[in-house]
Amino acid sequence: MNNFMRGLLGLLLLAASCALGAGAAQAHPHVWITATSELIYAPDGSITGVRHAWTFDDMFSTYALQGIETKTKGVYSREELASLAQTNVESLKEFAFFTFAKADGKKEKFQEPVDYFLEYKDAALTLHFTLPLKTPVKPKELALEVFDPSYFIDFQLDDKNPIKLVGAPAACQLKIQRPSDGTANAQKLSEQNFLSGDNSNYGAMFANKITVDCP
Amino acid sequence: MRPTSGFARALTIGVAAAVVVLALDSAVHVLMAQNPFGGPRPSAEPQVGGIVGWLLSKQSEFYREMSSTIRAAKSDGSAVWTLLVISFAYGIFHAAGPGHGKAVISSYLIANQETAKRGIVLSFASALMQSLVAVAMVGICAVLLNATAKTMCGAEKAIEIASYALIAAFGARLVWTKGGGFIRALQAPQALPVMALAASAPHDHAGHGHDHGHHGHSHPHAHVAHRGHEHHHDGHGHDHVPGHVHDEHCGHSHGPVPSELAGPGGWRRGFGAIFAVGLRPCSGAILVLVFALAQGMFWAGIAATLVMGLGTAITVATIAVIAVSAKDLARRLSGASEGGGALIMRGLEFGAAGLVLLFGVGLLFGYLAAERVTCL
Repeated sequence: MNNFMRGLLGLLLLAASCALGAGAAQAHPHVWITATSELIYAPDGSITGVRHAWTFDDMFSTYALQGIETKTKGVYSREELASLAQTNVESLKEFAFFTFAKADGKKEKFQEPVDYFLEYKDAALTLHFTLPLKTPVKPKELALEVFDPSYFIDFQLDDKNPIKLVGAPAACQLKIQRPSDGTANAQKLSEQNFLSGDNSNYGAMFANKITVDCP
Repeated sequence: MRPTSGFARALTIGVAAAVVVLALDSAVHVLMAQNPFGGPRPSAEPQVGGIVGWLLSKQSEFYREMSSTIRAAKSDGSAVWTLLVISFAYGIFHAAGPGHGKAVISSYLIANQETAKRGIVLSFASALMQSLVAVAMVGICAVLLNATAKTMCGAEKAIEIASYALIAAFGARLVWTKGGGFIRALQAPQALPVMALAASAPHDHAGHGHDHGHHGHSHPHAHVAHRGHEHHHDGHGHDHVPGHVHDEHCGHSHGPVPSELAGPGGWRRGFGAIFAVGLRPCSGAILVLVFALAQGMFWAGIAATLVMGLGTAITVATIAVIAVSAKDLARRLSGASEGGGALIMRGLEFGAAGLVLLFGVGLLFGYLAAERVTCL
């Protein structure tokens, strides 16, 4: 009987691990964001924060604008979009703003976003917000990743000048790795990933990696 | 001999379980390899990552084309046909990735000795319900109330929790009923337990050829059925728990013959599964509907949602049929010995019932990642 129960338990564990693996595989993006970001430096050369401008795809932009009253149809002022921008940054908090920074290998934390607003142009919404670092850092190497771990949102860096260094020391070197151009050291999908149940960071394969080296 | 036979049984169950799990797992891959959209068949050593990656990119492609096609349909009526084709393809691809809907339906079918035919009906009914819920939600929230995205996301979240709670309740009920049958099978005298192992080995087929013919074809699992039937009546009182969705056929373990399916309450049995799975609308459908509404093309959005559901149903039905076939295979492999075979099948059903409960609880408490609700 004991052996039998053990067999049954094995069955359940096996099935459960399959189920866990299945969860993430279902994910595919429903929202697309074209991102440009600025790294903000203080006069002493330390990094104080990240300023994002995220443009949503037209389907999500339209969805987000549903039910928002405007004076002129189809024209949305910054004030009319203020409450939506508020909702956006509040929701993004749950996902750590999809922004992950490491200074010389050490994880850095961000404060609540400031200076956030939405802009509506060419049938697309752009969310602007600034994430100040909890404590400004002056690392040799700063690594910044922008991605959704569950891959509900697909982040693409803009084609032209997606990353700007604002007020950085002249010697600093910027490197950008996009998930699509093959330079990113994207972890290859394997059956192992799907069955092991370790899929919490599934979207990392689609991460945009930015590194700044300041010798 | 006792410990050995216990081990033999455990081993047999392991084999049966592996068959079911592998069949379910490969279902997705098989589907992808034989998709009707002209995708390249994977080479001899297919990289799973390649297939999954390709699947994801195809989904994204179809999904992204939807918005431009709806825009085009405003001025060009023929674009509506393109929209329907894209939506159908998206539905098929979307459901091909493992998800809770087909997992719950497949587990339910295994737990309840259901037929492939019923599996197909369940798949289509739950996909249809999913589409209708999406249309109703956008119809009420956006069209009637002109609610904001924030409100809709709140409604989606509420529906999501209700759906997961229903799956958990449904699973708990299955575990309750199937647990009884399983425990009684454990207590039943085991006739020739060693046979269980022998029967599980595929190379023994020839030797048991006659038996298999008898059990597998003319009178499917006759002994299993009687046992399950009797035991069911023993424990009939247990079956009347609140939220009872099954009629008196519940736990009756022989496969229903067509006349039974059409009989009173025949189709009603699966309502619990349809409702629990179909209640939660797909985030993609809601985005498409709201977008279509804003373009003044709500009807096109509704059509796209229904066709999307049709595509989803085809994929889920295929996986459900594979699950049922895998269980039939397990039954045939274990059917040669009466006691051991019944025990294995009851165990398998109990395990599948537990899986439904596990899905519900896992989804409810966030251990299992489902498609996120669009809240930004």
